[in-house]
Amino acid sequence: MFQEDGSSSVTSSPLQNFPMTSLSPAPTAPHPWLKELKPEERGLYLIHLLLNCSSLVAAGNLESANIALDQISGLASPQGDTMQRIAAYFSEALADRILRSWPGVYKAFNSTRVPAAAAEEIATRRMFFELLPFMKVASVISNQAIVEAMEGEKVVHLIDLNAAEPVQWRALIQDLSARPEGPPHLRITAVHHRREVLDQMAHALSDTAENLDIPFQFNPILIDMKVEKLDFEKLRVKTGEALAVISVMHLHTHLACEDDPRGGRSSSNDSGSSSSPLSSPQSPGVESFLNAIWGLSPKIMVVTEHESDHNGRHLMERLSESLHFYAALFDCMESTLPRASLERQRMEKMVLGEEIKNIIACEGTERRERHEKLEKWSQRLEGAGFAGVPLSYYAMLQAKRLLQGYKCDGYKIRDENGSVVICWQDRPIYSVSAWRFRR
Amino acid sequence: MAASSSSSAFLSLRDENEQQQQIPPPSAPPPTNKRRRNQAGNPNPDAEVIALSPKTLMATNRFVCEVCNKGFQREQNLQLHRRGHNLPWKLRQKSTKEVKRKVYLCPEPSCVHHDPSRALGDLTGIKKHYSRKHGEKKYKCEKCSKKYAVNSDWKAHSKTCGTREYRCDCGTLFSRRDSFITHRAFCDALAQESARNLNPPSIGSHLLGLSQQDKMNQGALSSHDILRLGRPSPRYETLVSPGGFSPSPRPSFVHPNHDHDHQNQPSHNSMFPNKSSLQGLMHLPQLHMNNTSPTSSTGLFNLSFFPGNTNNNATSTMEGGLHHSTAGEDSTLFSSGNLMSIAIPSLYSTSHGMQSPSGGAQMSATALLQKAAQMGSNTSNNGGASSSLLKSFGKSPDHHSFGDGSIYNGGGNHMQELMNSIAAAGVGPGAASMFEQAEYRGFHGGNSNGLSSLEQAGRLTRDFLGVGEIVRSVREQQQSGMDHLGKQTQPFGEGSFH
Repeated sequence: MFQEDGSSSVTSSPLQNFPMTSLSPAPTAPHPWLKELKPEERGLYLIHLLLNCSSLVAAGNLESANIALDQISGLASPQGDTMQRIAAYFSEALADRILRSWPGVYKAFNSTRVPAAAAEEIATRRMFFELLPFMKVASVISNQAIVEAMEGEKVVHLIDLNAAEPVQWRALIQDLSARPEGPPHLRITAVHHRREVLDQMAHALSDTAENLDIPFQFNPILIDMKVEKLDFEKLRVKTGEALAVISVMHLHTHLACEDDPRGGRSSSNDSGSSSSPLSSPQSPGVESFLNAIWGLSPKIMVVTEHESDHNGRHLMERLSESLHFYAALFDCMESTLPRASLERQRMEKMVLGEEIKNIIACEGTERRERHEKLEKWSQRLEGAGFAGVPLSYYAMLQAKRLLQGYKCDGYKIRDENGSVVICWQDRPIYSVSAWRFRR
Repeated sequence: MAASSSSSAFLSLRDENEQQQQIPPPSAPPPTNKRRRNQAGNPNPDAEVIALSPKTLMATNRFVCEVCNKGFQREQNLQLHRRGHNLPWKLRQKSTKEVKRKVYLCPEPSCVHHDPSRALGDLTGIKKHYSRKHGEKKYKCEKCSKKYAVNSDWKAHSKTCGTREYRCDCGTLFSRRDSFITHRAFCDALAQESARNLNPPSIGSHLLGLSQQDKMNQGALSSHDILRLGRPSPRYETLVSPGGFSPSPRPSFVHPNHDHDHQNQPSHNSMFPNKSSLQGLMHLPQLHMNNTSPTSSTGLFNLSFFPGNTNNNATSTMEGGLHHSTAGEDSTLFSSGNLMSIAIPSLYSTSHGMQSPSGGAQMSATALLQKAAQMGSNTSNNGGASSSLLKSFGKSPDHHSFGDGSIYNGGGNHMQELMNSIAAAGVGPGAASMFEQAEYRGFHGGNSNGLSSLEQAGRLTRDFLGVGEIVRSVREQQQSGMDHLGKQTQPFGEGSFH
């Protein structure tokens, strides 16, 4: 892409009539036969192109990658069928990745970009929460786990590490006020990087608590995305109160660390961290974070994470895993919303597309979407001093009831050693697990 | 419970002798007389209204000695205590004035009994009321963990708790009928749901079935299994069944030895030297593809996506190439690829009970991915490394198969070749030439990366070329002058994939 005509150095000479110019379309449409592809064929072709392209990118062969991207862009479209959309977002991520190898160009290209309005992003995320049952099921399950753990407690302090949806806490407040021994004194500390979100949440929750006559305090904590270091002092955990920590799609961001450009493991593999049996890179960040949380002795910690391994060292691993994962999510979108739906497109772009871009295009500390599977999280959490709390039958019951309300029957929910995995068809999407302080 | 009746008002509406002594002077005869009970909370209007603060109300020591301010729970205890003060005799006695009816108010402002007209007549009653409604529930039943504020309530409940139980099939116990019924409604639904097998078929599985057959033919099952990604898909078998499927490799199917520059393919149709073989192929999937039957057969064979659907053109070419490319090993798959115009449709429609693809005319992305993975596994039969990309694609990521950098090494990957050819075709003359060059280079064995496979697959490649030629010719027809059906292997292979 950035090469001048024919000066590609990748292959030797004969090649180069490959310059951009030669891509001029033939008299008829550039790829006439491509237009005649049936959707399935096109889909398969797109998959192959994506694989090819990403391996080219991983290999550093950018000219050929460019060719492949060109092909993809001729076939992909964010308004097309599922595979076309997936290809669109993945190819955008690959292009972003390529662009990053020219830092100057990358910065210049993004310098005048106006970030999306906060309100729009918030609204899109809310739609994602409402329209797809995944987050709702997770919230129902985690609320139930909290209510059960807090039985008998008079003072409850809840820390939400990635507070986004007040709906979940509103439901929790209602659950708590309905318990037989009456509501506890409730304190909610919400951590987020957007002030608007925190304000909304403050209003919504305070209103709810007032209406139900529950003693309630709300503590917003604004963190800077860049810094990302949570000051535990600010949480103001008091002795004697029962602490619940909720982490929704947040824990994996702590896995972001400096690793080699090609995704090699961070240097200190044997840096005396105890949880070494993990095959994943040592990540001092997440260990110290988990230790800090352990230090607060939470009565319960509910962790919701993506159930897929997008933290592979190599781009191809991540690409392959994430292709399957996001294919399932895109299929789910396809079954839920019509193709013309603007909300669906926004969700796909702002929620899924951003995740994909981060997984594929970024490395090192910038790559924050480091999803890992539940078993790895279990190892980490157990290594940090937490014991698993099996989720109750009643929680599963509520979750299943909720799923029944969604007309689409592709959603499955299953129990995995006391934790819950929410699937689309056979593909696990999110996992919810509960932990408590041990020792 | 008796206590609950704070209504136990001895207030009577008797208006016998009203004494104008205090504010509302009730004059009730001594308690021994019969009293009519008022409705709870509707006190005698003549009664003295007493409003106590919550603290006083709940105070355990209501009787306080005037002399030393010591508090007692019972009046008799207080009197006993007062005797000890050596009070003058007459003070020891209670005052003999008429006992006024007293009514009490609930100190909670939002409570209905806060209003004097709804005062409660009994002190014990008001205390219990206040605890129950506005107090903290400190007593808990062990069996059902129901909580109570008033001791006597709690004791009464414990007597009856657990004496009558309902049990649902799932094992949950209920003491109340209504909650039991509600639960059962949902519980049944759950039981039914779990009983149903909700594994919707997807085309992918069908396709997989086809490929499966290949595998079976060749015994190269490993990658296939991996590629399966854990999908049970017993359906494979359905596809596999078409015995005709494995028309066994037809080596000669595609023009085996075309020169790379073979350009004289006047019409695709003539491209298939062995029409018979083609027909054989056609047998295989006698599934007629009815236009949009999505069942995705397209995906089945690596290159089904060749634009072949529409009769002529590439499809046929693809087909030829496909067949051959797999060197007859998994050719069935490829062959099934039936890109042939005629055959293709049949392929596409899955006759044998293939289930409709998820999504009607559109295959779901997940199914497509599985198909692709399958295809990858099939191609791998050939000389190894080549289809490693696709193979790895299907495998679990932990496999780290990419590490060996062999992904693009061999050109032997039919898929790749096909892909390449497609890509080449699509890219344009210039690109095509590039690819072609690459391919040639590969052919001529210059490739450092495991070209051996390429060599070994040379024959295959050649076949591809045949295919390619077909494609080429097709393209030529469309865009004259393009006769490169390149394989991109070279450029791809060059990168160090690590």
